Order: sequence, then C-alpha cells, then structure tokens
Amino acid sequence: MERRSFLKLTGTSAAAIVIAPSLITQRLYADDGALYQTYEKIQLKDADGNPLKASTLTVEENYVFNFPHVATPSIMVDLGEATNKDVKLKADDGTEYIFKGGVGKKGSIVAYSAICPHQLTHPTPDDTFFQYLERKGKTLAMPDAKEAGVFLCSSHLSAFDPKDGGKRLSGPATEGLAQIVLEIDENDEIWAVGVLGPDRFHDYMDAFKPEFKKYYGNKRKAKKLVKTEAKVVTLKNFSKDIIQY
Amino acid sequence: MSMERRDLFKLAGVAAAAAVIPSVVVTSATAAEVANKASGKTIVIVGGGFGGLTMAKELKKKDKSIDVTLIEKKDIFMACPFSNTYLGGLKDVSLETLTHDYYAPASKHGYNFVQAEVTAIDRKAKSVTTTSGNFAYDILVLSPGIAYDYEGQFPEWDANKIASVAQACPAALMPGSEHLALKRQMVDMDDGDIVIVPPAAGKYRCPPAPYERAAMMAHYLKTEEIKGKVVVLDTRGGKFAKGAAFKESWADLYDGLIDYKGFTKVIDVDTAKKEITYLEFPDAATLEEGDADDAKKQTAKYEVCNLIPVNKCSPVTKMADIETNGAGYALMDGYSFRSKSDKNVYVVGDAVAHKIPPSGQTAIWGAKRAAGQIVAQLSGKADDPKAGLPAAAANVCYSMVGGAPEEAIMVTHEFSADASGVLKGKGHVPKPKDGNGKFRSKGTGKATREWFAGVKRELFM
Ligand SMILES: Cc1cc2nc3c(=O)[nH]c(=O)nc-3n(C[C@H](O)[C@H](O)[C@H](O)COP(=O)(O)OP(=O)(O)OC[C@H]3O[C@@H](n4cnc5c(N)ncnc54)[C@H](O)[C@@H]3O)c2cc1C
Ligand code: FES
Repeated sequence: MERRSFLKLTGTSAAAIVIAPSLITQRLYADDGALYQTYEKIQLKDADGNPLKASTLTVEENYVFNFPHVATPSIMVDLGEATNKDVKLKADDGTEYIFKGGVGKKGSIVAYSAICPHQLTHPTPDDTFFQYLERKGKTLAMPDAKEAGVFLCSSHLSAFDPKDGGKRLSGPATEGLAQIVLEIDENDEIWAVGVLGPDRFHDYMDAFKPEFKKYYGNKRKAKKLVKTEAKVVTLKNFSKDIIQY
Repeated sequence: MSMERRDLFKLAGVAAAAAVIPSVVVTSATAAEVANKASGKTIVIVGGGFGGLTMAKELKKKDKSIDVTLIEKKDIFMACPFSNTYLGGLKDVSLETLTHDYYAPASKHGYNFVQAEVTAIDRKAKSVTTTSGNFAYDILVLSPGIAYDYEGQFPEWDANKIASVAQACPAALMPGSEHLALKRQMVDMDDGDIVIVPPAAGKYRCPPAPYERAAMMAHYLKTEEIKGKVVVLDTRGGKFAKGAAFKESWADLYDGLIDYKGFTKVIDVDTAKKEITYLEFPDAATLEEGDADDAKKQTAKYEVCNLIPVNKCSPVTKMADIETNGAGYALMDGYSFRSKSDKNVYVVGDAVAHKIPPSGQTAIWGAKRAAGQIVAQLSGKADDPKAGLPAAAANVCYSMVGGAPEEAIMVTHEFSADASGVLKGKGHVPKPKDGNGKFRSKGTGKATREWFAGVKRELFM
C-alpha cells in the first residue's frame, strides 16, 4: 500500500499529466505538457529561517534544498542571464514536455533536481560530484567549450544546459534534468511548486538505502514529502567535499 | 536434474511471469525443445555481462512490446571492474560489492532471463541452441566477452599444462573463481613475491587493469607487512595505458615495492615449485625480434602468480559464423554495431572489432547505441550510426592506485567515426584539479567508488 501511494505521488510514469492551478499565480500548468507533477508548495528559507528573497541570490552560486522528498536534493541558481523560453524537450520514453523559462526579474533563476539522470549521482553531506559550474569554469565533459555555465555531473562527465530546461549537452546521460518549478511572489519570496520532466525519484529511493539510514534515519523518513518550507544552503555548506572534473 | 536446478528455473520463471509479454515459458529444464516462437519482435541476447544486461534493459525501455530473452551461462553476476580493490583489501569491499542476482533487473524491466550456455547458433534457421533448449530469434545480439588464448601464446603447452597453469596462476580477467582463487592465495601467502604478467600482446580487456592490480597488490603487501614485492613481467616497456600516471603513483606510494620489467617473454611456469621462467630482453627491438641469445634467461620464485594470457574473442562469434578479425572480434557494418555479415545480428561489448577501448563503460555506451539501431530496424526507420559523434568523454575509466588514503588516476576517451570506417577512441589522461600537480587525487579515489556504484545502478535498476 505504501509503495502504491508513493508511486502515485512521484508519478514517474508518463501518465503524470496534471492540471493544477498554481496557488500563487493561478496559472494552469497543464500547458507545460505531460510529465508535470505538482507538490505541496514549499517556501524556500535561509539558514536563519527567514524567507529567502530572489533579489538577494548571488549570481552563479549553487543553492541546495531538498524537494519534493526529504532526501531528494535540488539545486537553484541565478544564472545572471535570462534562460530560453518554451523549450521543447523529450524524455527517453518519447514523452514531450515544455520548459517555460527561468523566473525572477530577469528570468534567470532556475532550479533542477540534483539527481543525475544517468546513474543517480547526487550531492550528499559528505561529498558531491554534481553541481552548477559557473561560466568561467572548465570541465572535461566539454573540453572544447569556450565557457561552461552548465549543470555538471563529474561522475561520468554529463553536462546539462540550465538555459534549455536542463537538456543534456554531453556525456553518457540520455535524458535531461528534471526541473524544479519555482514561483516568486509579490514579496520577492521563492516557492517550489512542482517537478517538470522525467524524474528519477523512484529509482533513487530504491538505490540508496544505506545512505538514507546514515543521513535521514531510514528510507521511510527519506521519502516523506517536504512540508511548508525547505531550508536552503549553499553547496559549499551542504557537502564537505566538492569534486569537479 | 537436481532439485536445486529445478528451483532455479522456478525462480527464473518468476521473472518471465512478470514480463509484459512472456515469450519463453520455461516450465521444465528437461524440455529440450522449449523452442519459443519468434514473434517478429523477438530478440535473443547471448551473454549477461555489461553489454548484454544493458541491451536487455534498453530494448524494453524503448519498446515494451519487444520480446527480449537474455541467455547467460553463469548463475550470478560478478563484476571485473572494481575487483582489484577487493584483491587489495580496501575497506568495505566484499564479494557482495562485486556481485548481484540476475532476477531483479529481469523482473523490473520485463525481459526473460535464462541461465544456460549457448552451444550453437544457426543463422539460417535463426535459432540459438543452449544447454536448456533452443531459442528462436528475429534479431540476435551477442555480448559474450573474451576468452584466453593460452594455446596461441604457449604453443608447446598441452591441454593439461594449460589447465593446471590457469588454475594455479589465475588470470582473473573473467570474473568468478579466478578472482576468488587469487584472493585466497594472497590471504594464504607467506613472505615472498607476487608476479603479475599482463597480456603479452594484442587487444585485451581493460588495458589499465594489470597495472591497477599491481598497485592494489602492493598496497596489500604494505598493509599486511608482507616482506616481498610485486614483480610485473611486461612486454610494453612502460608504454601502457595511463603509463606516466601509474609510474608516478607507484614511485610515490610504493617505493621499491613494484619491480617493473618492461621487455620480458614468459616461457614456462612450474606450478609445483612456484617458479616462473622468462627471457629478459634489453629493449623493445630485441624483444620484438625474440632471439633468445639477446636475452637473459631468468627464473623467479613466486608466492602468488597472476598470469594473464593474450586475449581473443569468446568463441560465440565463431559459433555464429559471422565475419571476424584474426582474434575472433566481430567486424561491424560501418560505424554501427550490426554484424558485417548479417543484418539481424548485432554485437556489443568487448567482442566488437571497433577501435574503442574494451571496457565496461564502453560496453554500456555501445549497447545503448545498438539498442537504438535495433529499435529503428524493427520499426523500419533509418538510424544514423554516426549520430552524436564525436562523443566527448564517452568513456571515463578510473584506476585505484592508493589504498590509504584511497587515490585514483583517470582517463577519458572521446569516441569518433574514424576515416578508416570504424569507431575509434582517443584517450586523455588529465591531472585532476585536486591533485596538487599529480595524476592521482583523493577526489578521483571517491569518483572510482562512485563510478562503480553508478554502474551497478545502471545494470540492475
Ligand atoms: C580487473 C578488471 C578491471 C576492469 N576495470 C574496468 C573499469 O574500471 N572500467 C570499465 O569500464 N571496465 C573495466 N573492466 C572491463 C569490463 O569488465 C569489460 O570490458 C566488460 O565486462 C565487457 O562487457 P561484455 O558484455 O563485453 O563482456 P562480459 O561483461 O564479460 O559479459 C559476457 C558474458 O557472456 C557470458 N557468456 C559467454 N559465453 C557464453 C555462452 N556460450 N553462453 C552463455 N553465456 C555466455 C559470460 O558468462 C559473461 O557473463 C575491467 C575488467 C577487469 C578484468
Ligand atoms: S551519474 Fe552523472 S554522469 Fe553518470
């Protein structure tokens, strides 16, 4: 029973077409295509428990928060430049979905699930191979690129384009990243409201039992949904060791 | 038919029952004529290693209506990658780390797993003969891996001699008893030397493996305070995969513990006396000429000997009677993974003759491409075998060189469509950012563990 409700919640299947009005903007998300899943909206808070303001984000900094599950890390970045809009993407099973674009005044703020769609590498409190790499960074994943500005998994060197909805740019991953859909309210405060694209939460929950035990008590606690608010920390403060190639 | 075996089939049957369209109903192991009927979309995969497991899963992921049967002779999956850390005794690396059951992925993705050995292939009849009956196919995929060529390398050894050397000095390039035997010998050893003989020539599975093994075995000698060294009897004069990076690490971490001899030719092993006899040449040119008068004949005592013979392709490609090169590796149709001889036969993993390094990661990469090519063929669509090429960092391979702390070196390969008409890999050995100017680092050590954990998730989730 437990397993069944979990499936319903994460909706990894292509059937996760949800028509849900946003509580903030009243926007209908169904036009984002299939593979959109709403969750209880979560307010992003800073370390002191105060609402995080969109205009105070440091450009190109990695901000980590867990969403939609207690143990599923996401990374938010203010890219400093607007993303592309209405980008059509395709999951491995052929399902299409549409990335609407970043949020914030410049349309430059994005968040993605920090679970690599290749083999599920993700940040943990001990270390991370997964991060946003600033534009002036260098990576072996794209040896000839002039600039980075990509979400990067150094486990097997997959790179993803945050301006194009997390689309795969290079490396062994075959799908793009799942986008964490954000909204910013009239007080400049940030909310996470849903997940767009093929997420790997289900496999993730199956794969990391020992890790969940170490950090969250057990798998049951790890897969609980985040309620009301999520604490945001920079990646430097989330993972002791950032490994990037 | 023992009870045990029947139980096993029952278990395999569970997987079959979970398939969307179960094709092979294995009711009894004795029913030698369990011939399934090819449905037009029936795919039989030979070999449940890195290539075969990936292929089975990818096909089902791409199209659930494809009927997939994976035939593997072993009852348990065991990985060769990461096994050197097991030999080295690194923390928390056990047999369980390296092994997995075959049933979980079959039931999750809905393909049939059959434990049997393939003994013949009839391409005209489109049928595969196994120790548990015949299987009809529309498309056949071969991912059978390698075989050892003791006969070619030591023509004067008879079958008995080969068998005794193979068991006394296990090669451990194919997972299973060979690794367990090698580990047992290390655990049991007294003070004395370990001899490693990398394959003397030709293409072989995982080019850095023997040299990573040298580092891990040296780590073991050091931590167990065994008085002895690791002697590497090579033919490559230091010019091997990640050579500069290995040599730097060996010198820094195991000063004097690894005795590398670059121009040798092994001629005999006396397994009773635990002695290996070899010719030591002064340089590459004299080794190549092979005139014994130029060499010094040496006999060395060993406690443990890991003699890795020259590799050739598994005999399965010969069973299929498809075009191969001299060592049995399958020739491909251009840049694809389709056999040059038969449009309904695909080959992946170490068994292909493409010029890309034979590694687990390459096998996974190739199997995914081949799965795309197969699905395109089934649906009558065109597939561009050059799509996505060149692929930067298509292969990333780590080698653990240090055990305390764990440190590794890495190589990345770009795969591209070579002008000669085959796929080709170009390697690059970077110095990692956290290595303080060295080739090895703790970050890459962590990456090595993460790489392996990821591969297991890839194959079994
Ligand atoms: C010590 C060592 C370290 C390595 N390290 C790495 C690494 O770090 N990274 C990396 O990417 N790669 C590494 N490799 C290489 C990797 O193991 C191989 O390249 C990979 O296994 C190739 O996959 P494959 O599918 O071609 O063959 P395999 O994985 O060997 O699978 C072939 C399967 O076919 C089965 N089979 C054969 N004949 C028959 C038959 N007649 N009937 C039924 N079944 C049959 C076999 O039992 C086997 O299970 C390493 C290898 C070794 C030995
Ligand atoms: S897990 Fe991220 S690239 Fe492999």
